[in-house]
Amino acid sequence: MKKNVPGTHKVRRSALSIFMNLILWIFSLSCIFPIVWMLYSSLKEKRVFNADIVGLPKNPTLYNYIRILTNPDYHLAQSMWNSVRTTGISIVLIILFSFIVGYILARVRFKLNRVLYVMFLMGMLIPIHSLLVPIYVVFLRFGLSNKWFTLILPYVSFGLPMGIFLVEGYVKTIPVSLEEAASIDGSSFSYTLWKIIFPICRPILVTVAIIQVFSCWNEFSFALVLIRDSALQTVPLALTQFKGQFASDYPKQMAAMLITMSPIIVLYFAFSKQIIKGMVAGAVKG
Amino acid sequence: MLNATRPKNKTIFLYLIIPVALFVFCVFVPLVTAFVYSFYEWKGGPNKTFNGLTNYIKLLNDTTFWEAFGHNIYLVVACIIGQIGIAFVLVMMVNSRLVKFKTIHRTFGFFPSTISAVCIGMIWTMVYHNKYGILNWFLRAIGRDDLTQVWLNNTKLVMLLVTIPLIWQYIGYYMVIILSAISSISTDIFESAEIDGANGVQQALHITLPLIKNTMLVCVTLCIAGNMKAFDSIYVMTSGGPGTASMVMAMYGYQISFSQSNMGYGSCISVGIFVLSLLVIGGSQLLINKATQGKGED
Repeated sequence: MKKNVPGTHKVRRSALSIFMNLILWIFSLSCIFPIVWMLYSSLKEKRVFNADIVGLPKNPTLYNYIRILTNPDYHLAQSMWNSVRTTGISIVLIILFSFIVGYILARVRFKLNRVLYVMFLMGMLIPIHSLLVPIYVVFLRFGLSNKWFTLILPYVSFGLPMGIFLVEGYVKTIPVSLEEAASIDGSSFSYTLWKIIFPICRPILVTVAIIQVFSCWNEFSFALVLIRDSALQTVPLALTQFKGQFASDYPKQMAAMLITMSPIIVLYFAFSKQIIKGMVAGAVKG
Repeated sequence: MLNATRPKNKTIFLYLIIPVALFVFCVFVPLVTAFVYSFYEWKGGPNKTFNGLTNYIKLLNDTTFWEAFGHNIYLVVACIIGQIGIAFVLVMMVNSRLVKFKTIHRTFGFFPSTISAVCIGMIWTMVYHNKYGILNWFLRAIGRDDLTQVWLNNTKLVMLLVTIPLIWQYIGYYMVIILSAISSISTDIFESAEIDGANGVQQALHITLPLIKNTMLVCVTLCIAGNMKAFDSIYVMTSGGPGTASMVMAMYGYQISFSQSNMGYGSCISVGIFVLSLLVIGGSQLLINKATQGKGED
């Protein structure tokens, strides 16, 4: 049999094509399916959902959403605000601190430069989850646990190493002559730092922000040990409590999840290209 | 390094003091604390008594802890094969000229990795649910009622069942990393390979894979580090149960410390997690370096 009979070649090629496209679509749709399923199921009442778990709702209702958002016992709106505040402040601090430390480690010669470099490098290698119990002990001892600002402290600390190394690597690509020229023109260190270097570093700082928005918004384990008060809960914490309360009421659980995921979903599908690029850059370089 | 514009030491100090102090307070102070308390009998109350190495001896003989460690290793291996392996195969498909809508596959595939592990855990609890789960619904739909069960109560299957969500969540993440590595390979190489008659599989194994070796090793490292700290989704799905069938190290440390409020032993477990994670991550790095050096770079 000849290898390149055009007919069989074509058949094999199109069979392969169908196969590959099929596999990829199955995978891609499986990634989106939970959201879609939750979206329409959350519009059903519990009774309707239990009777038919995959069907589309015949009489869609916003009942679940209204119940969740109006009942103050669930703290969902409050926990959304807590998450927004914690994430927002953490991101600003991570960007500021990563920029300052990253720049100084890259450019300024001083005694402790290498010591600090190694210290932050170790921060990336330390298995953060071994800190779960001791950080609780330390925060309790210093009266820092269960406050509105509590979670900002570990989130900033854990976000710093990657941010610092991304900035440090980036600053090294900027020619030193730029700062020297600024200095000759009479620019002070701080002026150069904020007015000249900061704008140049904007792309890498955006990357840092993207990575940290997701990790702060989604962080669960440290919130679990450091926050007791349900009025201070962040979103993932509120969800686990919700899950306990409504173990068998799936439409309500789904509605709650969708509410808490909504900022992430909107952000992701609006900026997916930049977000994917940023997360990958962080993973590979950091 | 700057010479002409070097700032005063005081300026550097003022800029660095807050971030450095914060970092030390949140990372190194707890580490030292854990180490100190690991030598104490402490039930969370005001009384602590020094008991030397008792906690460590207990830890060495604690079958649950070592079972949990075994589960972490299981997760690591399963996720390296599942996440990176599947991701590589899918990337090869996405890169093929026969496939359309590449951007959609990338965007959809990456999406689960942006969702919190808590949501992932809740979603998959729903998938596995006895009465209202998709899995049992599907089995009933294809007429295999006999296979339906309370999935997460099955001690034999539970580890696999909590691993699947983890694998699923991050396939797209690794896909994108691998894709970006491949896009930096010159297309000339593939064109000449095609002219020489190499098929898709041959190209993938003999051209692409060796060229993106470093990226694959980064993926493996990420995968190991990520799975040594597995906690969130398991907390949501099973809390380590039934019994200890899906217990992982972080979960066990949490239970001992907070459910049983045995902070002394909990601190000791934390030190154990710290040491074991470093050993596994460091060991795998050594192994990888050795393996790649043995083959010789060209």
